[in-house]
Amino acid sequence: MIAAGRPTFVLLNVVTWALVFAISFPLIWMVVTSIRPEADLFTIPPSLIPRHVTFEYYAKLLWETPFPSYFLNSIILATSTTALVVVVGTLGAYSLVRFSYPGRETLAGLVLFTYLLPSVVLIIPLYLMMVRIGLANTLSSLVIAYTTFALPYALWLLRSFMAGIPEDLEAAALIDGASRIGAFVDVVVPQALPGIISTALFTFILAWNEYLYALVLVNSERSRPLTTGVMNMLITSFNIEWSLLMAASVMMSLPLVVIFGFLQSYLTRGFGAGGVKG
Amino acid sequence: MSAIASPRPRASIETRNARLGVLLIAPTVLILGAVIVYPLLYAIYLSLFSIYTPTLKGNWVGLANYATLIGSRSFWGALGVTIVWTVGTLTVQILFGVAMALLLNQNILFRSLARGLVLFPYFVSTVVAVLIWRWLFNDLYGILSYLLISAGVVSMPIDWLGKMPNAMETLIFVGAWKFFPFVVIAVLARLQTIPEQLYEAATIDGAGAFGRFFDVTLPQLKDILTIVILLRTIWDFKEFDLIYLLTGGGPVNNTRTLPLIVYQQAFGLNQMGMAAAYAVAMMVAMLGFMLVYLHQARRPAV
Repeated sequence: MIAAGRPTFVLLNVVTWALVFAISFPLIWMVVTSIRPEADLFTIPPSLIPRHVTFEYYAKLLWETPFPSYFLNSIILATSTTALVVVVGTLGAYSLVRFSYPGRETLAGLVLFTYLLPSVVLIIPLYLMMVRIGLANTLSSLVIAYTTFALPYALWLLRSFMAGIPEDLEAAALIDGASRIGAFVDVVVPQALPGIISTALFTFILAWNEYLYALVLVNSERSRPLTTGVMNMLITSFNIEWSLLMAASVMMSLPLVVIFGFLQSYLTRGFGAGGVKG
Repeated sequence: MSAIASPRPRASIETRNARLGVLLIAPTVLILGAVIVYPLLYAIYLSLFSIYTPTLKGNWVGLANYATLIGSRSFWGALGVTIVWTVGTLTVQILFGVAMALLLNQNILFRSLARGLVLFPYFVSTVVAVLIWRWLFNDLYGILSYLLISAGVVSMPIDWLGKMPNAMETLIFVGAWKFFPFVVIAVLARLQTIPEQLYEAATIDGAGAFGRFFDVTLPQLKDILTIVILLRTIWDFKEFDLIYLLTGGGPVNNTRTLPLIVYQQAFGLNQMGMAAAYAVAMMVAMLGFMLVYLHQARRPAV
């Protein structure tokens, strides 16, 4: 870094933090609105610091709306998708990195291609398939549909993580008499664990936030996840209760905040190498 | 035969390993085949039928759907809207994303907190993003109109989403807010690997801040920016959630992009076959970018 004078340093900080504040303002406003009594919502001028703090909307959300059911559905959905995709993807990525067989490169290219496919193209045949096999309106149909984007994504991330593991360790284990699978379990998986965890967390976020498949494939209150569920709360309400919707938004974002805490150092360091460029 | 087993004495082990490799990739191949390859081919097949969604009864119509589509104003209109949206939001994302990455690469106070806050819009659900922005844009009590009125910029609350060109501008703006952090992440990671000596040498050669940016930083960022632009072009082009939830394609189809028209045909107008034709046409429109990206991404890392 080129040493900068004091005025430059101050200016730089002011400009950067002003922009950071502007970018995060909508998120701050979401939190502020969610803890503000309705009467205070429509005061002119609006104030950033709430005069009265209330958690009534969180209570209402939990006891008087189907929100808890949506939340549980989303947890089940995102966890199942992540578990499925990470197990299958870890095996697949290991295969793509360490073994050679005909068609391997074509397959790797195909995985990348599928990662770019628009969901709206697949949604029509997937909808027909789900109706035909009787899975429409179930969480299982969404887990299946989510693998269309989550599996290529996880494979591609895991592949780049695994490519970074030195082959020597595995070779040493093999010479020591370990089987190929034994070396995979004892050497490769522990080495790749940070990559596997990051991939799992990213996959969880993707599944947690998905909207289109949930909109088309599930049309029953019982299996609705958060995205379509909360949107439904907006559409079906007589008068829009913004405090309630903002409380729902905050609750819906909480798991992301937790995950984000884990991922942040990783994101600002090496995402360029792993997630962007395969 | 391609190069599976090189003709060495260890050939039998290599073959066995190849078999294990195939075994490990088998679940992936089966799943991708069932949920992507088959549906993709099925979508192309469906586009040759006229199908009424509720009953799923279909008649073979050959290429008639495509003929209708090419002759229709709505397809070309939606393609135009998609291009305006993609180019518009992408430009803002790139310019603002690079600028923000440069700032966050400087030695500022609480730098990692600032980086974390900036990345957050990208990870928050589109549903949440749309709810927040709809509240901010609220015509009576929205804070944005209030701030603009009290700053004297406008005298009346702005109709952010109800008329043109406001709706498209709002869409581009919210899209940029939601997706620019991706540019920041990628560019920031690359900035940290630019050797310090390059800047020192440029400074010795008498380059100012701008000179250093154009002569050192920008050339170093070229590869990552190419990748980012390609990826974001593809992703913005196919974006459904944000547009559907924020404007629903309105006012009067002025922000109706191709993904929205596919959805509308299939589940609004109940024309599955026609929808499939739209979807395939949309993919053809994207194919060029996808192929260039595949080519770029599979080059050895620079």
